[in-house]
Amino acid sequence: MTLRAVPLLPEPVCLRPDTSLLEALRLMLDKGVNHLPVCNGGIWAGLVDINDILGELLPASARGEHGLKDLRFVGDGTALIATHIKELAAKRVLDVELLDLPTLDEDTPLLEAALLLHRHAAPLPVLGADGRLKGMLSRRALLAHLIAQVGI
Amino acid sequence: MTHPATAETLFGLSPLVVSLAIFVLTYAVIVTEKINRSVVALLGAGLMVFAGVLNQAEAFHGIDLNTISLLTGMMVIVAITQKSGVFQYVAVKAAKVVKADPWGLLVMLSLVTAVFSALLDNVTTVLLIAPVTLLITDALRIGPYPYLFSVIFASNIGGTATLIGDPPNIMIGSAAKLTFNDFLINVGPVAAVVMALTLIPIYFIWGRKLRAAPEDRALVMAFNERESITDARLLKQALFVIALVIAGFVFAHALGQEPGTIAMFGAALLLLLRVYDKKAEEQSHAIHHTFGEVEWITIFFFIGLFVVVAGIEKAGALELLAHKIVEWTGGNFTATAYTILWVSAVLSAVVDNIPFVATMIPVIQSMGNAFTPEQIDILWWALSLGACLGGNGTLVGASANLVVAGMAERAGQPVRFLPFMLMAFPLMLASIAVSSVYLWIRYL
Repeated sequence: MTLRAVPLLPEPVCLRPDTSLLEALRLMLDKGVNHLPVCNGGIWAGLVDINDILGELLPASARGEHGLKDLRFVGDGTALIATHIKELAAKRVLDVELLDLPTLDEDTPLLEAALLLHRHAAPLPVLGADGRLKGMLSRRALLAHLIAQVGI
Repeated sequence: MTHPATAETLFGLSPLVVSLAIFVLTYAVIVTEKINRSVVALLGAGLMVFAGVLNQAEAFHGIDLNTISLLTGMMVIVAITQKSGVFQYVAVKAAKVVKADPWGLLVMLSLVTAVFSALLDNVTTVLLIAPVTLLITDALRIGPYPYLFSVIFASNIGGTATLIGDPPNIMIGSAAKLTFNDFLINVGPVAAVVMALTLIPIYFIWGRKLRAAPEDRALVMAFNERESITDARLLKQALFVIALVIAGFVFAHALGQEPGTIAMFGAALLLLLRVYDKKAEEQSHAIHHTFGEVEWITIFFFIGLFVVVAGIEKAGALELLAHKIVEWTGGNFTATAYTILWVSAVLSAVVDNIPFVATMIPVIQSMGNAFTPEQIDILWWALSLGACLGGNGTLVGASANLVVAGMAERAGQPVRFLPFMLMAFPLMLASIAVSSVYLWIRYL
């Protein structure tokens, strides 16, 4: 059986690359999701992760290897976070490193899709032959489908 | 045990030609940076032996184990010490001492970097100071560029001041039997002057325009540096051992000891203090982890280079070069000293100063016929000042520069090659001019 049989997440919102991070964050909070796909002219470009947006609120010096190991000495730091939140409006989703994920299509076997989902901490994009995003495959959607198939 | 005599060199060519070909090839590949430099140096070393320029015993004899032990020992000590949070503590404390005033902060961070670089290696120093610098400038909402620029300069200038501050000094000290105190007395003063003078143009270019809002300064003043100390016991052990090692360096000559032994013993002592109360398995794990943090690329690079240089030295190439330099300067000592200083500086700005110094050491040693031992000592200071300060000339002049640039890039504040060089190269030349005046007044 292939992915053709699995219902995808309804109405995927696809962000344009120049969408601001603040707008992306608001959409995530409204929809209760941790990831949003990004499309360039309808073509899949990557996935923006809420953890990356959280990372933008931290001092850059604490991100990445060799950065500060802890920030306890900074104390409260609310003012610092507030400054960075305001900067989210000026940053675009393209400015953060989008998750580079394997892509699926409707002919991907279910077992392969299950393996890829297991290996990546995000829903995976299902693309049409033209590279356009048809929908996102979540763990929940796949598992719900598999349980229904087995019929227990 | 006797060693076999050097085999016939390949193709019946003279050892001079073969060794020079291997030397040039090795250095050329190192410069391209296409293949890791330690691998290239080790391959070059192997070729020197296979080609019959050196036998294995001679190759091993060329490796300066005093330098290797000093570097490795200090790397172990630093790897353990940095986990205590002491560097972060000092950097934050320094910022608060000047009440987070932007220009005061720049001066303090430069001084802290210079002092740490004089006592530890430059790369470690900037790895620890640059993130705090980025954090504080972030909190003050000031562009970090002037600060990172100053940290780069301070690390190379501070490293110039002592025997253990920069690898060229470690090599020079070891080869010429110059002590920690010799470096402190002879290059320490000029390093201090250069540091102070470097801050003047930095003030006029950037310093006088730096402004921070009172509320942002209050944010930095609210930092609690005590929270940086993650392990108070480790801090005490590390500071105890570092104090002991530095005292060892100061009194090494009187004690008839070499710095390599002192650094290695200090490293072993600190490892003992870290693990003596742990179970055997935990001990192995902790020590394995610490040894893993030694920069083996640098260590193996040194080993390979020492052998390559031993090859051309044995073949007589370096003695020839020494004669040529003396001939070219007409046997004039002042001209020779200045040539070494300026050529070292310009070359060290564009290529790695470690291979350059490794090559120059036997060249200067070969000048013993032309100059007195006191004069040779002055040539060592010229080489040290040129090679260490020259590293400030471009972004690729020293490893510490690239480390800062890498961190700045990841923090979204890239330091670009050309803009950096346009400011840094003239400033570096000015520091060499200051060094020239110093050499003139003090020795020539």
